[in-house]
Amino acid sequence: MEGKNELKIKSLWKDYSKEIFAGKGDSLVDVLHKIPLFNKLNKHELKIVSKFAYERSYEPEEFVFQAGQPGAAMFMIKEGEISIVKKNNENEFVEIARLKEGEVFGELALLDSSPRSAGALALTHVKAIAIFREDLNNLLETHPDIGGRIMQYLAIITGKRLKETTNLLIQLEDKLTKLKENCNEG
Amino acid sequence: MRDKDRQNRSRVFYFVLFLFFLTVFGYLLVALSNLILPVVLGTLAAYISLPAVNYLRRKGLPKGIAILILLGIFSFIIFVIGEKIISFIPSEEESLELRVQLQYKLNENFLDFLGKKDFKSEGNIIDNLIGKELYPIFKTVNSFLALDDKEKKIFKHYADSIKIPQRVLFFFNENQKHPFEALVSKNNKDSANSKILSAVPDVTYHSKIAVFLKAISNWIILPFVFIFVLIDEGEIKNFLLSIVPNRYFEMVFTTISNVDKAIGNYLRGTILQSTLVGMTIFIGLLLIGFNIQAAILIGIIAGISNAIPFLGPIIGLLTGLLYALIVEGIDPLLPFLPDNPVVGVIIVVVIAQLLDNALFQPLVLGKAVNLHPLVVVIGVTGGSIIAGFWGMLFAIPTIVIFKVVIANLYKQAKEYFIIY
Repeated sequence: MEGKNELKIKSLWKDYSKEIFAGKGDSLVDVLHKIPLFNKLNKHELKIVSKFAYERSYEPEEFVFQAGQPGAAMFMIKEGEISIVKKNNENEFVEIARLKEGEVFGELALLDSSPRSAGALALTHVKAIAIFREDLNNLLETHPDIGGRIMQYLAIITGKRLKETTNLLIQLEDKLTKLKENCNEG
Repeated sequence: MRDKDRQNRSRVFYFVLFLFFLTVFGYLLVALSNLILPVVLGTLAAYISLPAVNYLRRKGLPKGIAILILLGIFSFIIFVIGEKIISFIPSEEESLELRVQLQYKLNENFLDFLGKKDFKSEGNIIDNLIGKELYPIFKTVNSFLALDDKEKKIFKHYADSIKIPQRVLFFFNENQKHPFEALVSKNNKDSANSKILSAVPDVTYHSKIAVFLKAISNWIILPFVFIFVLIDEGEIKNFLLSIVPNRYFEMVFTTISNVDKAIGNYLRGTILQSTLVGMTIFIGLLLIGFNIQAAILIGIIAGISNAIPFLGPIIGLLTGLLYALIVEGIDPLLPFLPDNPVVGVIIVVVIAQLLDNALFQPLVLGKAVNLHPLVVVIGVTGGSIIAGFWGMLFAIPTIVIFKVVIANLYKQAKEYFIIY
């Protein structure tokens, strides 16, 4: 049941990425500048990062990646809509979140190759930009200053998300405890 | 659901496109086969230099300058090695002189080994046991080295016109007394000299300018490949990935990255290992009294050929022994080292191989890419049949690359749910 204190699961995905309309005429550098992970880099540094940004196109109903696959890249939506999905006990896909232009997903793949916790399904024609962990690691060798700052921002973003998740878990526990008490009284 | 017709049309389209490119690629591979080696070596050199370029960039040097510095270093090394090797290639007359020395030394060492004063006298127990089996082999080698009538005339004219050492004339005269000589004069139809000289570049018969022009026509591409592979900031990978369907996108990228790392480490490790073996042999030969030029040349040959499993050390050993047979006046630097250059070379090569197996290989290569010995033997043999010496040299790295690619592709295909 949804109420004032409803758990905003969707906000887990949206809090730390901005919903900004990415104009179709924007260059790759301009598009990258809108990602929180890269928006503190100057134009020259973004140009270096843009060299290992891969633009991909996806058809409707096409998976960008599936749950359980090793994470290798972070994606940013340039155009279109993505649904983050997970299979329930009946083996059906359930939408966890819906992402639009300018939002990022799969950014934890920049840290390690842990399996994806959910899948990303294109709802419309999607243009996305992929940035791979290996390229970021190579950047640490060739341009340690730029690579180091990106990793630092990633750590900050991940840390904020972890705090938010912890707070939400605490809220959920409180709710569960109250429910139990109500049941016992009843 | 995606349009099934469109899917089928896509499959047909991509299949036809793939066949077309395969045909074109196959044709170009055959038509431009002379360029394969320079392109491969240029790419290899770029792979090996990548960590050095990154190091120089971290120190603040622009990428272009770092690449030019490394190109300069490589060019200098190749120039020095090339000059050393070319300086050792004999002219026709020098080749005859070398064969005269080799034949004499071979006969001398063979008779010593069998404990005989001459071919008609009684020998030792080794002669009794295996003398008869060794004789035909010895005779074949002798007939290869012996001068035919035409070559004897050239040699005599050469000896008259230039002051060759008296001992070489003595060797020549002693060889004439040799019982094999008469057989050789009748049977040696194909000039052994032409066989030897056909195996080396035509330096002796053409001007150096002509040789230089012939070399650069194919090899000029090497420095360009080197520069452009290093300059590339992912454009090649970007292009390759742009033609990969979305379903395989992350899988292919991960495979390329893993293969790139593994191959780079393997190639750099092999180069380092060969360099260490070459340097060990160079130092060892200096210690047993070889002159510095010969030690450098034998060290280079032994180092390069060490990349060929099993056969490589034998090539190094034979090169050293060949020189040891003709060299004279050896004076070891340390008193406990043997006077006999042949024994000295064998000891040096054995020590180098022991160090290679016990120290260099484990430290440099580790167990990164282990191949079954049977695979190694078949690979080296197959490589020699396909492309001679270069085939032997590149057989194992090629097999390693295939192994790494297939293993990674299989692993990634499973992890990305492409196959079961």
